[in-house]
Amino acid sequence: MTSSIDAAARTRSPRVQGGGQSKQGHITLVARRRRKKGVKHAVVITLLSLWTIFALAPIVWIAMMSLKRPGDIVSYPPKFLFSPTLMNYARVFGSAEFLTPFLNSIIVTLGALALTLVIGLPAAYALGRFSFKGRESIAFTILSLRFAPELLIILPLYLIFQKAGLNDTYIGLIIAYQLVTLPMLVWMLRSFIEDLPVELEEAVAVDGGSRWTAFRHVLFPLILPGLGASLMLSFIWAWNSYVLPLVLSGRNTQVITTGIQQYISYQSIDWGPMAAATVVSILPGVLFAIFSLRWIVGGLTAGTVKG
Amino acid sequence: MKHKPYLPYLLALPALAVLVAILYPFITGGWWSFTRYRLNLGAPKFNFGHNYLTLFTSGEGLHAIFITLLYAAVVTVVECVLGIALAMLLNYGRYGSVFRLLIVLPMLLPPVIAALMWKVMLTENGVVNWLLQAAGGHKLLWLSGADTALWSVMLIDVWIFTPFVVLLAQAGLKSVPKELYEAAAVDGAGPIRNFISVTLPMLTPILVVIITFRGIDSLKMFDIIYTTTKGGPVDATTNLHVLAYLEGIRNLNFGTAMAALIVLWLLCYLISYFLLKARRKEALA
Repeated sequence: MTSSIDAAARTRSPRVQGGGQSKQGHITLVARRRRKKGVKHAVVITLLSLWTIFALAPIVWIAMMSLKRPGDIVSYPPKFLFSPTLMNYARVFGSAEFLTPFLNSIIVTLGALALTLVIGLPAAYALGRFSFKGRESIAFTILSLRFAPELLIILPLYLIFQKAGLNDTYIGLIIAYQLVTLPMLVWMLRSFIEDLPVELEEAVAVDGGSRWTAFRHVLFPLILPGLGASLMLSFIWAWNSYVLPLVLSGRNTQVITTGIQQYISYQSIDWGPMAAATVVSILPGVLFAIFSLRWIVGGLTAGTVKG
Repeated sequence: MKHKPYLPYLLALPALAVLVAILYPFITGGWWSFTRYRLNLGAPKFNFGHNYLTLFTSGEGLHAIFITLLYAAVVTVVECVLGIALAMLLNYGRYGSVFRLLIVLPMLLPPVIAALMWKVMLTENGVVNWLLQAAGGHKLLWLSGADTALWSVMLIDVWIFTPFVVLLAQAGLKSVPKELYEAAAVDGAGPIRNFISVTLPMLTPILVVIITFRGIDSLKMFDIIYTTTKGGPVDATTNLHVLAYLEGIRNLNFGTAMAALIVLWLLCYLISYFLLKARRKEALA
């Protein structure tokens, strides 16, 4: 590519185009271009570094805070050098106020994902492989749930759950979390299934296999990466979700996002344990995602970008 | 492959059941928006769209609508510009993958917790004010100032969600065939011309997705605002979603809350409709 651009530049440059092309002139041209490229690289790296500092500074600051003693935390000017301690982490892992919400988050998130998978996979298959009446309306209605303001469903659901005795229960939360997890899973999986040629399954049918065999042995292994990406995204969204548990969970089912708020109001001046709790609660999502960044991008761009 | 006509419906049945289970509260709530419904005053009573009238005529309602639109517009535009710029920078050199992982981190935290981290840093004696003073500026009130609260919340939003635009834009940029730039170079196009005539048109499909996600999610932003300011000081950061929560859960005024949510939903619905239409056109083309 570079060579062709060079060629293009050379034909345009009058000095080179003119018959009397000296060798030296050509060398300075190349050198200048190389220097220009070096400057460009330096600028790019500087800009990227600036943003990276902006992106990381808050995380680093909170991580530092979680290792500080109370006196170091409130000092002004802020301390950048201090003798670290793990006492905040000890406090966090010793208190039920943090551990219970953490466990609840795991139960509710995994429960919601399991339910979404059981419900969503057949639906995505139906929407991706069959043409039937009302298909597009069903697909659109499912997706539009992702784009509705959460409270629109949750405020009425709150009163309905109250009558049904589902407020502040795992089952209630897992059902409500479908609002976050189901639409995107169905939508993404559908795109993945549509991208695969039907001929693959038809070949199985020609050989006398059933639709179930075709799904199990041909389609399912092929959509597995897509399925992984969709589940990963759903996990992050469910883990991060805040409005749903804020309204629907109570003392027994407090999850991490609402629990950490409580934690702060209990110990309004105790920043140390709060910072430690923050670090612990961002770890699962971050670890989960770091290993699957490529899958996540694939999931979000499903059906949009080819190649 | 042949199949029984009811098979697709059977497969979609559980999802449809969930759909109905979700649509039922939606419709109930829609009905409440036309009623006077305070939990402490008994059953909902039809009041002829009075809630909507109040929303569109009272200072409180109009202010919430204004904040909603302003927040969404500013945040979406800023994140798109920064996100695309960063994606182009990442694609320029060979160090992209290292930077990318670091740049994307903020997006992976729960927004609530990210917002809390910022709240800690933006207190009066926090590290940001110290940096400001060290650079020769004055301390700012940030989240607790009536004039600065909204901009502070927007800053947090930009910090969290710009990576989202970066990820998608990068995927979009990769799909631009290199030959197009070579052809443009032959025609003597400079970097700006390249961006306008090659990059931007090729990015359009993914840009539609980005704008839809960011547009809708910022219209209905709740997490960041509620954890940092609870809509305050006074109502400086109260958008429709926060207003609905305060009306519904704090004042137990479900009629007014649902009216605010229906208006917000219509705004979101319009954008998602636009997305699907653009996407279908793209698929046909």
